[in-house]
Amino acid sequence: MRKVLMGNHAVSYAVRLARAEVVAAYPITPQTQIVEMLSEFCAEGSLDATFIKVESEHSAMAACIGAASAGARAFTATSSHGLLLMHEMLHWAAGARLPIVLVNVNRALGPGWNVWTEQTDSLAQRDTGLMQVYCESNQEALDSVLQAFRIAETVRLPVMVVLDAFILSHTEEPVDVPSQEEVDAFLPRYEPEWRLDPADPRAFNMLVPPEHYMELRLLIQKAMDDALHVAAEVDAEYGRRFGRSYGIVEAYRLEDAEIALVTAGASSGTARVVVDELRSQGVPTGLLRLRLFRPFPARAIARLLSRVDKVAVIDRNISFGHGGIFAAELKAALYHEPQRPMVFEFIAGLGGRDITPATVRGIVGYLQGHDQPPASPLWWEVKA
Amino acid sequence: MKSAPSRPPVGEPVVFRRLDDLPPLPVSLAPTLANKTGTWRYLRPFYEEKTSPCNHACPAGSDVVHWIGALRGGDLEGAWRTLTAENPLPGVCGRVCPHPCESRCNRSSSGGAIAIHALERYLADEASMHGWRPTRVRAANGRRVAVVGAGPAGLACAYHLARLGYEVTVHEAEAEPGGLLRYAIPAYRLPRDVLDREVCNIESLGVRFMLGSRLGDNLSLEELRGMDAVFLAPGQGVSRPLGVPGEQAAGVLSGLGFLRRVARGEGLGMGRRVVVVGGGNTAIDAARTAIRMGAQVTVVYRRSAAQMPAIAEEVEAARAEGVEFRFLAAPIEVLVDGDRVRGLRCQSMRLGEPDASGRERPLPVPGAEFDLTADTVIAAVGQGLDEGLLAGTGLRAEAGRVPIDEGAATALPGVFAGGDAATGEGTVAQAIGSGKRAALAIDRWLQTGRVEGLPPLGVAPHAMERSASARVVGPEDLNADYIEQVPRPVLPECPVELRKASFDEVNLGIPPEIAAAEAARCISCGVCIGCDTCYIFCPDVSIARAGPCQYTINYDYCKGCGICVHECPRCAMSVKEEGQ
Amino acid sequence: MSYAIPERELLHPGHVACPGCGAAIAMRLALKALGDDLVVIIVASCWSIIAGPFPYSSLQVPTLHSAFETGGSAASGVKAALRKRGRPDTTVMTWAGDGGTFDIGFQALSGAVERNEDFIYVCYDNEAYMNTGIQRSSATPWGAWTTTTPVAAPKDTPKKDMVAIIASHGIPYTATASIGYPEDLVRKLQKAAGIRGSKFIHILSPCPSGWKSEPEETVKIARLAVQSRIFPLYEVERGERYTVTVNPPPVPAIEYLRRQGRFNHLSVAQIEEIQANADRAWEALLKRAAASA
Repeated sequence: MRKVLMGNHAVSYAVRLARAEVVAAYPITPQTQIVEMLSEFCAEGSLDATFIKVESEHSAMAACIGAASAGARAFTATSSHGLLLMHEMLHWAAGARLPIVLVNVNRALGPGWNVWTEQTDSLAQRDTGLMQVYCESNQEALDSVLQAFRIAETVRLPVMVVLDAFILSHTEEPVDVPSQEEVDAFLPRYEPEWRLDPADPRAFNMLVPPEHYMELRLLIQKAMDDALHVAAEVDAEYGRRFGRSYGIVEAYRLEDAEIALVTAGASSGTARVVVDELRSQGVPTGLLRLRLFRPFPARAIARLLSRVDKVAVIDRNISFGHGGIFAAELKAALYHEPQRPMVFEFIAGLGGRDITPATVRGIVGYLQGHDQPPASPLWWEVKA
Repeated sequence: MKSAPSRPPVGEPVVFRRLDDLPPLPVSLAPTLANKTGTWRYLRPFYEEKTSPCNHACPAGSDVVHWIGALRGGDLEGAWRTLTAENPLPGVCGRVCPHPCESRCNRSSSGGAIAIHALERYLADEASMHGWRPTRVRAANGRRVAVVGAGPAGLACAYHLARLGYEVTVHEAEAEPGGLLRYAIPAYRLPRDVLDREVCNIESLGVRFMLGSRLGDNLSLEELRGMDAVFLAPGQGVSRPLGVPGEQAAGVLSGLGFLRRVARGEGLGMGRRVVVVGGGNTAIDAARTAIRMGAQVTVVYRRSAAQMPAIAEEVEAARAEGVEFRFLAAPIEVLVDGDRVRGLRCQSMRLGEPDASGRERPLPVPGAEFDLTADTVIAAVGQGLDEGLLAGTGLRAEAGRVPIDEGAATALPGVFAGGDAATGEGTVAQAIGSGKRAALAIDRWLQTGRVEGLPPLGVAPHAMERSASARVVGPEDLNADYIEQVPRPVLPECPVELRKASFDEVNLGIPPEIAAAEAARCISCGVCIGCDTCYIFCPDVSIARAGPCQYTINYDYCKGCGICVHECPRCAMSVKEEGQ
Repeated sequence: MSYAIPERELLHPGHVACPGCGAAIAMRLALKALGDDLVVIIVASCWSIIAGPFPYSSLQVPTLHSAFETGGSAASGVKAALRKRGRPDTTVMTWAGDGGTFDIGFQALSGAVERNEDFIYVCYDNEAYMNTGIQRSSATPWGAWTTTTPVAAPKDTPKKDMVAIIASHGIPYTATASIGYPEDLVRKLQKAAGIRGSKFIHILSPCPSGWKSEPEETVKIARLAVQSRIFPLYEVERGERYTVTVNPPPVPAIEYLRRQGRFNHLSVAQIEEIQANADRAWEALLKRAAASA
């Protein structure tokens, strides 16, 4: 059924369709509508879940960990400082190999207080062991949440689905909401092999000495390796069932591109429009949209970009003392390629500053006017 | 879905050889039993039974703590058999013993000593009701032993020898067995039927009694030495005289003489005003007997009340029955009217410096004399061995006693001695211990030619082997946190008004509920009763129950923290350094 | 069995508690009290280590080790899931130290009991951060030495009254317990298991390593804490009704204090102050109990 939904509500619908059993969440702008709608669903009985109104985000993830450990499908949502407060428990959820789904609404970090979109919050969790999926639209948010449960429960890793603050979270778009029967066929009941069960009592997450710790960590890495193809397979299956698939990385008009833009999230939509515009002007431009960030699809990216002349990475995030995070990872992926593009790094749109078509055009123009990137990333459209 | 890795055998360590052997997450695959934490230990706790103070104090060597334990568990016959394995006369001792066991009882400070004597008497009475009889420990071996004297020492010796398979004949000068039990201790303390019952028990083991058989009269030591062994326990039948003018007058009796005549039912010629001289049990027995025969009785004692050797409860009972006491008064002359007693002149005394016995010595107060009117004077100022019995035997008394070693042996091979005749004046329990010592010695001598393993004189011998260590449990060894104040019950007695009218027993014994409650009040010093305290508090789950009142420590895991030993309410555990 | 305590053992030996550990006794008794239809959440504390390293465990019930602050929050999730998965009556017990209860875990605990989550929260209290090396917590008693309150500057604030704080949330049941009174401890846990809603049990668990006491005296010390009125045993129902559950003959506080090296430096005046404070608190407790009877 088609509905006009804000991104946050699309997420709520997905969580209901996924038949989440335990939701534990703490409100933070701009995530609040996700949990408010889920509260209503639970209260009216359309979602048969326990909603634990925890007193902080750290407790939210801890409660999800408790719930998933006892065999329930668990979900939470947060943003920015809430995600940061959850940081310890994100590591814990991954190390505990629990298929918790977390939706993070990308929001800038304080001080100063800033509620608008930026990707640093989620990217600062890149080492935690959670998978990460970046969405361009509200439809993709709904679809990615459903896929996330399935992928998570297959590879035994938590998955974070990310959407931009306000641009997606609060903007209403038409969304196709699948039927419960279709989703049930795609996403069976969660039945974990390992769980807290008085009939088979075991201890979980205890002390692990050096002689075993590294192997357990290696197993997480291997799960991430598996997740690359599992994510692709699940997305393909989703496409067959629901008519929509996204790939783990999207290549838009990249086949013969000389200039490639690299984006993630809502700004990809803006970039897409500019690519079409430039193409109509004869500029061979393409777009690489990063969707799956963890595990990082290094080979796919390297394959797609190696023959391109110049790449402009638009990082709506910053790792102080280094640069944009997408750019750094992408350059590492290209390192061994015999043919490599010039990679230009742009820091743009921090703290909700708009990335407009003009912004993107300007970036392409810069590439056209320069053979080499400067030594440091370019902070775009800031006062000098 | 990959199946769970198979669990290793319980207690074996888990080994991962390949990455695939690991589970995908940190999850337990086995219990911690492979980790033998016993290697941490440097102190090792263990169960060690120790000697309870009651056991230590009993001159008869009774295994008090264990027979009370059996009583606590409801096994009355078992309790009686444990008791009579050492002491054949519980009905007697429960009534007449001064119970040193109770004086040492560690419950004294938590409500009062356990009324051990009352429990002992209770079991004897139960035995009589149920008809329990003692049994032999060994089959008959055809060896023959003669015992002279059917007092407590002779009876105990005969009993233990009979249990060990010997054929025993007891020669007794009087018409009935019992010695002082019958002919001195009055019936209101020790009913005749109780004594008869216990003698009957001894007889049931095959012991023969030759009554009216008197050494030096119609019986000689020479002929007795034809047996495989002889035990002499003639007691101290000679009374000491007052040593004052006039004591040959009619109406002056020795204490023992008086009591013997009463016991035999002979005429006494006792008057209405009786003065008893002395402070021991014989004096009190005589006084309380005289009261019951309708006399007015005064006891005269040359020292103070506190220094009286008589059993305190007896003195109290005498007072309650109307006996008057004059302390610090010594007789100096029996006043006569013709050849009959009419009174006793006494010298007032005062206490001076301590004498050899450690008591302050009584000294006369010059000029302070007084007369007591009396038509009967009973002199109970001490007994001694009748040394005439030893004439022609080759044995010689030393300091009024037949000398023996710790094997009860005299100077004559095959002739053993015991009881008051050898040890000096003692209690019934001491005599029983002495007779047992001789029985054990005779048995070892006849079986092996050597007498070994008997404790020194003064320490009670044991017929049954004990597993307890020699360490005696004192109050500081117990865990006071587990010992509540529970008062000793009041023991039923015949009301005072009724006592004087008869020779019926004064102490009435206890009903089963009180016996059970009293047995439950016993702390069981040094002996495990299965209270589970060690088991409950072990942090390492290393103590398991192995049976009633039995636990095992799993030394694979015990870390030696010592909580079990420390918490044990009754010092039934000990600790030592690991490796010793 | 002369103790009214269930027979079944649910703790294996081979765990790595120090010899004489009060917390090991507490866990053993708690497991006996609650039986095997139980899930235990252990947050960072000595018991995270005591339970045993991967791939072993000494508990015979399902156990979830969780991060330090999460005693209240993890349990909330576990209980919700068990209910969803057809085990609404399985007992959920958080097993946390004083650090994870009084300090870093306070928020999640308060949050969970404010929501009246259906679980038993047990704080086994050894009165310092023992697992990290005896540093002070807000459960450390006034005057005690710890590595962060050395003898020159011992703990100068009173022990936080956690029971009062949690009871003031109005939850169905709050109680103190001591391993020195095992039957009382077991009874309280069993009572808690029979109540729906939040239950908080504060167990005093002497630590010979951190209190500098003899390992063999651990139970004695736990008993003396109660006898000296320094750690009274009582329960609070619905935040209002107070009942003293064990009232032994009193013993002077010095008997409790002198057995612990962490109090060795106390002056006579300080000991008297501790005694006076304990007496005052005891009188107040008695009054409250009488008023709410």
